[in-house]
Amino acid sequence: MHPTTQLSPLHRADGSATYTSNGYTIIGAVNGPIEVQRRDELPTEATLEVNVRPAVGVGSPRERHLETLLHGALRSVVLTESLPRSLVQITLQVSGMPSEEGDCGVSSSLSILPHLLHTALLALLSASIPLSTILTAALVVIPSSSSTPLVSPTANQLLRAKPIRSAHVFAFSGDGSLLMNESDGVFSLQEWDEAVEATEEVCCKEEGGVGLSEGMEVDGREGGSLDTWLREVVRGKVNWEMRWKTAR
Amino acid sequence: MAALVTVVLPGDEIPRSSLPTPTGKKKTLTLGPGLRHIPPDTITTTIAGALTTDNKKNAIWVDTNSGRYIPAVGDLVIATIQNSVFESFNCLLTPNTPFASLPQLAFEGATRKTRPVLAPHSLVYARVVSNGQHTSPEITCVDPSTGKSEGLGPLKSGMIFNVSLGMARRLLLKSKGEVIVLELIGAKVGFEITVGRNGIVHVDGANVKTILAVGRAIQEVDEQALGEKGQKKLAERVLKSL
Repeated sequence: MHPTTQLSPLHRADGSATYTSNGYTIIGAVNGPIEVQRRDELPTEATLEVNVRPAVGVGSPRERHLETLLHGALRSVVLTESLPRSLVQITLQVSGMPSEEGDCGVSSSLSILPHLLHTALLALLSASIPLSTILTAALVVIPSSSSTPLVSPTANQLLRAKPIRSAHVFAFSGDGSLLMNESDGVFSLQEWDEAVEATEEVCCKEEGGVGLSEGMEVDGREGGSLDTWLREVVRGKVNWEMRWKTAR
Repeated sequence: MAALVTVVLPGDEIPRSSLPTPTGKKKTLTLGPGLRHIPPDTITTTIAGALTTDNKKNAIWVDTNSGRYIPAVGDLVIATIQNSVFESFNCLLTPNTPFASLPQLAFEGATRKTRPVLAPHSLVYARVVSNGQHTSPEITCVDPSTGKSEGLGPLKSGMIFNVSLGMARRLLLKSKGEVIVLELIGAKVGFEITVGRNGIVHVDGANVKTILAVGRAIQEVDEQALGEKGQKKLAERVLKSL
């Protein structure tokens, strides 16, 4: 199933998005370009600030770790040079997690990472911050029992596939190059290669008809890759903004 | 708009076939917001929106109605005075951004002896003269070539209403923006509006009731994307309430 999302639900923020997928619900807000504090100011590019707020309690080192990972990935996507001496502030509030999240055997910072990345990207799109490319990400796990990788599994699937040997998160840019990789567990290089390939099929746009039909058969996913999904979301946004031209 | 819109995502390359075909005298291609040129001849998008071209002006840009206002040279804006430092006023175009500077002599008829006195939080209608990627933006209230105000200057009474950036652009397009509600209301009651590209509309009228009615009507057209029929109905409702 593709994630469900809504762009610009918060009217005070420059850009925002709500995102629901596999039991995770995240609200993202982007403010920018705004004034940057003197000590954070970079003379030739924009400063990126990522805040992750957990569903329960206050932030912990886990959130700081996620922020670092997100900052690294988003820095390569946002065209920071076009907004020198300014601040782009990204706030991601996790508002719902699947109840099996704690004992599904995958590090929780890995399983939430693709969803945080998608929310951040959608909020950036909604805020019209200049980006060099788009980004799609997915979680892959390789269970001990079989060698076939599970791509973007639900928490329930993870629970059934336990024990899990390794988990990976891959993020791809719009042109299909690998932007980010986080891996956890024991795996061989060959398994890693297979995992990359499986994720690429889900994330990137299809070259020809084969990829599309395969994706639909294997996972019952409608509408093909995440890239297609993102395009549909933006089409919805454009139609919403242009509706005054066709309104009567 | 019957034509199918081309939706673009950041990083999409613009094919040569989508570029405008120049019909006017202008031969150089103009890239508008949301596009960047990667030498030698690649054009890619940087924001998500609808790709729009104008053959007469030989221009191409990405049309979108979201995000924060970024000053561009020549834009008409409504600025809020924050304070006066040395020989210029510090103004805000959008909240939480660096101040825009408005020289005290950049008013019609201002000399070193007779300067305008503007209290904090008063409003001015001004034009952006430099957008300041590396410095703070600068705005002015006179046309530098004639020294006349050309309608710019302090906004005295009235109220301001926030609208989306797209709505502000539509209002400045006059008839092409298809905001007929103002003409319909204006046929019966008198009022005055000033539109800033930074998403601020200033409305002045005979009494508070008129001002509020006009301002709310503009906001309603913006939020509900009312067409011609909807705007007529709205105008009737507004006039009945006045």
